[in-house]
Amino acid sequence: MKRERLLSALRLALSLLLVIGIKTFLHACVHEDGSFGTCHWAGEAVFGVGIVLAALSALSLLLSGDRAGLGVAAATMPAALLGFLLPGGLIPLCMMETMHCNAVMKPGVRLICAAVFILSGISFFTGVRRGKKA
Amino acid sequence: MKRLSLPLRNLAARPGRTAALIVLTALLAAAVFGGSLIVRSLEGGLDSLESRLGADVIVVPVSAASKSDLQNMLLQGTVGYFYMDSGVLDKVRGMAGVETASPQLFLASLRADCCSIPVQMIGFDRETDFTVTPWMRERYSGDLQDLQVIVGSRVNAAPGTSIKIYGENCKVAARLSETGTGLDTAVYGSMETLRSLLDAARGLGHDLKISGDPDKVISAVYIKVRDGYDAESVANDINLHVRKVKAIRTRSMMSDVSGSLSSIAGIVSVLAAAVWVMGFVVLFVAFSAMTRERKGEFAVLRVIGMTRRALAGMALKEAVLIGAAGALLGIGLSAIVVLPFTALIESRLGLPFLVPEPGRLLLIGALTLAGLVAAVCLASAVGAVRLSRADTADILREGN
Repeated sequence: MKRERLLSALRLALSLLLVIGIKTFLHACVHEDGSFGTCHWAGEAVFGVGIVLAALSALSLLLSGDRAGLGVAAATMPAALLGFLLPGGLIPLCMMETMHCNAVMKPGVRLICAAVFILSGISFFTGVRRGKKA
Repeated sequence: MKRLSLPLRNLAARPGRTAALIVLTALLAAAVFGGSLIVRSLEGGLDSLESRLGADVIVVPVSAASKSDLQNMLLQGTVGYFYMDSGVLDKVRGMAGVETASPQLFLASLRADCCSIPVQMIGFDRETDFTVTPWMRERYSGDLQDLQVIVGSRVNAAPGTSIKIYGENCKVAARLSETGTGLDTAVYGSMETLRSLLDAARGLGHDLKISGDPDKVISAVYIKVRDGYDAESVANDINLHVRKVKAIRTRSMMSDVSGSLSSIAGIVSVLAAAVWVMGFVVLFVAFSAMTRERKGEFAVLRVIGMTRRALAGMALKEAVLIGAAGALLGIGLSAIVVLPFTALIESRLGLPFLVPEPGRLLLIGALTLAGLVAAVCLASAVGAVRLSRADTADILREGN
């Protein structure tokens, strides 16, 4: 129970880092002429996924130990996978790999989403195991 | 597994202490692996730049101001363009000691359709080139047609697709292998392609600051010096006899880079060594304290029949488990932090940065793991030896 709450709290912290990060240090490329490239829209999509991840993690924190909490942990995994695949996978980024979207945004977002995915997986599988024992 | 069950249970019984020791060894592993990775990548970048440049001397117009213009272009991918009359090529070819001289033409796209930053374009002479062609042959065996280009490894354009530069659609023939230098962010084409793009740029009203006939300009001449001649004297000869150009010895450019590289590598190595010394001292103290704290437990194990050798073996197995877990954690974390951000590290350092191949990376990881496990075993062995010499009856009598 205590471990599950800790895992949920970690997921919430990482999701909030994603939401805040994508608007600050993990931002998309800034074009001098004010126009938007596809990386801008990848950033907006990641922002949306970040909010969903934060909401799911908050819900999971409230439902720790509950069977519904197990469902929330399971739902977080595909959402984190989507966040991982968005920049550079589902939405192409700028052409030059040295640009901010490729050099900072993509690896940063992918690291955070991978961590959320792994933590959700641990919550889900430990919950399933505990359920079986009970 | 049965052999490890007692050491594993011992470690699980004191989760706080075990976690602290694992974190400490992870910190050491991260410092060593991360430091080695950065130093090796810098060295790899320099080697790669040296092999890719291929030329002994590069001739650029005096308007290129200093060798730093060319250096920034090659190392950091800073875009640049400068022009001189192609007559320079004939003059250079006629000089003593010049074996091969091949021209290149530079152009910076103001904004390709894909990107918000300019892209460096480099045109080379298909007949005489000895720098780009061998590199291109690794990935593309055909001949480059007009308006057909090859792109550096850091330009995200797949072969078969097109990129639009100055309104012209350039078909991508291949993507080059990585060099870890500014050459990775450039687009390469034949001289004819570059001249077409130059015309297109001028047609769109861009001032390229060309003095003279735009159809007879080149940006640089790459020279291979004949055996038996000194590159420095050839460069000096060119500087003396050909007007309005500057001949730069690539080795002098390399020595600047290697100077910066050595200072960075030195700082990283000193920091890693400092972390190692401090970490080893802390590990030694931690294991000594742990052994002292467990004197009673070890004495009881001796009383119930465990030999001194088996006791030392158990302590060693615990150390191996802690060392391996900490080292794997540290190596993993270090890899996660460094590997995805190589483009960022390269641009911040402003030096060539080429991450070693996976096999070499695994070797660095394996050596770090072995070194860490050996260090942890050494720290634990001192305590274990001291304990094995102590008299069991005395320990039990002390009531510890």
